Amino acid sequence: MNLRLKNAISNRKKDLIILLVLLLMPVFLNVIHFEYAFTIVSFIFIYIIAVSGLDIVFGYSGQISLGHAAFFAIGAYGSAILHKYTHIPVILTMIIAAFLAAVIGAGLAYPASKLVFHFLSLATIAFGEIVYQLVAQSPYEITGNFTGFFTDSVSIFGYKLNTYSKFYYFGLFSVLVFLLMKNNLIKSKVGRAFIAIRENSHAADGMGINVRNYKILAFAISAFFTAFAGGMYAHCVKFISPDTFMYKQSVMFLTMLLFGGTASRFGPIFGAVSVLILNEALRATEKYQLLIYGVLLLIVIVVLPGGLYGAYQDVAVKFKKKGVNKC
Amino acid sequence: MLKVKNVTLRFGGLVANNDVSMEVRDGKITGLIGPNGAGKTTFFNCISGVYTPNEGKIIFEGKEIQGYRPYQINKAGISRTYQIINLFKKMKVYENVIVGMHSRLNSSVTDSLFKTKKEREEEKKAYEKALGLLDFVGLLELKDEPAGSLSYGKQRLLEICRALASDPKILLLDEPAAGMNATEKNELDLLCKKIVERGVSILIIEHDMKLMMGLADYMYVLNYGKLLAEGAPLEIQNNPAVIEAYLGGE
Repeated sequence: MNLRLKNAISNRKKDLIILLVLLLMPVFLNVIHFEYAFTIVSFIFIYIIAVSGLDIVFGYSGQISLGHAAFFAIGAYGSAILHKYTHIPVILTMIIAAFLAAVIGAGLAYPASKLVFHFLSLATIAFGEIVYQLVAQSPYEITGNFTGFFTDSVSIFGYKLNTYSKFYYFGLFSVLVFLLMKNNLIKSKVGRAFIAIRENSHAADGMGINVRNYKILAFAISAFFTAFAGGMYAHCVKFISPDTFMYKQSVMFLTMLLFGGTASRFGPIFGAVSVLILNEALRATEKYQLLIYGVLLLIVIVVLPGGLYGAYQDVAVKFKKKGVNKC
Repeated sequence: MLKVKNVTLRFGGLVANNDVSMEVRDGKITGLIGPNGAGKTTFFNCISGVYTPNEGKIIFEGKEIQGYRPYQINKAGISRTYQIINLFKKMKVYENVIVGMHSRLNSSVTDSLFKTKKEREEEKKAYEKALGLLDFVGLLELKDEPAGSLSYGKQRLLEICRALASDPKILLLDEPAAGMNATEKNELDLLCKKIVERGVSILIIEHDMKLMMGLADYMYVLNYGKLLAEGAPLEIQNNPAVIEAYLGGE
């Protein structure tokens, strides 16, 4: 018992240290005049939330989606357009757009929940294409089509987060809230139902789980996460164009998730951080982006089926064992 | 308690269950036997909602339940185990049991997202109940193991434990002794009797005649999808038609 208490405290300590580092990072980055890092970190925050959304539907519920760029787009355009025409504060339009995406996600999942594996991936690809086409060639050019769409930054009580460094704390706060919600969800009746469906949907049905409803729910919550990230993207960059919401964005989400590790608390974080940093490092070779994703995916599937986080856990377990042996 | 009346199920031209009627009595163990391919598991699937019978009625506590989906049957109070083990292999043993409680937990999605006090209390109770059930079937020490790592016999016990988690009134056991050794079979025999003492009626499919003789209060025999005989175990054992079905006629 005493040992457990000690462990609990030391775990908390680790969390606190990480939080402190994250809180003080902007100060440090400002001191060394490395403003560009804020851009990358902001994107990392956005992608962590988007990929966490995908993790709920793919990692935990076992339902593949290759159309999550569509939810990202609905969140981004939904919020931007809503803000332009109603002048509701941005933070609210982001939430409204995310709810809208959740409803659309449920609408997609209602028929799609009968599909499995490649049929489901085809259906989600089609969905992604439809949304992309709507965004790129919208009625009355409401989205600005290929010209793009300029929008406002997030403002909190009148304070505009119009630079990447000001966006930092908002991004961090959002990540914490969304990861906490995801964690709560996974460790509840709903999360168990998701995992049960992934593991054995027949048995899940027999154990009283309404498989169809839970698949729909997984899509809706997943869409909410990814769409909120889309809203963050729109109001962080302040400009959106259809290019961002092409099929390759969906592939990017999936790459990050698989690379980081599915169905885990830290997988999406590992994935977003590593793939984005790699992306920055290989900026000169942008033409080959999809090729690089392909290679990354292959590496993960063959060498690291648990993703980076899975590999990290394996190593940690080994070290722990060694420590015990030494004692 | 559970009455099945003239159930017929066809797959195209094949009649898997032909005009089968039977009854599961309150507080009793009812046995269902028959040679391979007689349609026993198909019959279970009719009761548990996997298939909807083409004809006939299934009446549970005065309500017609044919055509219910499996999750609705579970919620109504009929729980089952599977012939081919159907556990959630990567989940821990105790998590499997809590999944079994699904239809008895009332927390909503928002409760789950924000870990409300109600949800936390319910989860705590569910966990304690799971431990109690694991203790009941004798798997308590293995509660944190992944379900897939258990031995075959223990996985069967876990299936029973998971099925009990939804507080069923009737438990359907599909060949629970398959893959068990003699000791485990004796334990299963005791466990079934203990389950009935808890107020759960049992309908059991089993090939092990020795086990069935000691366990069942009443038995039905299926052959080629049709009811061949019914009666007390001793009557069944001496029924010439049953012997012929099992050993073959001249």
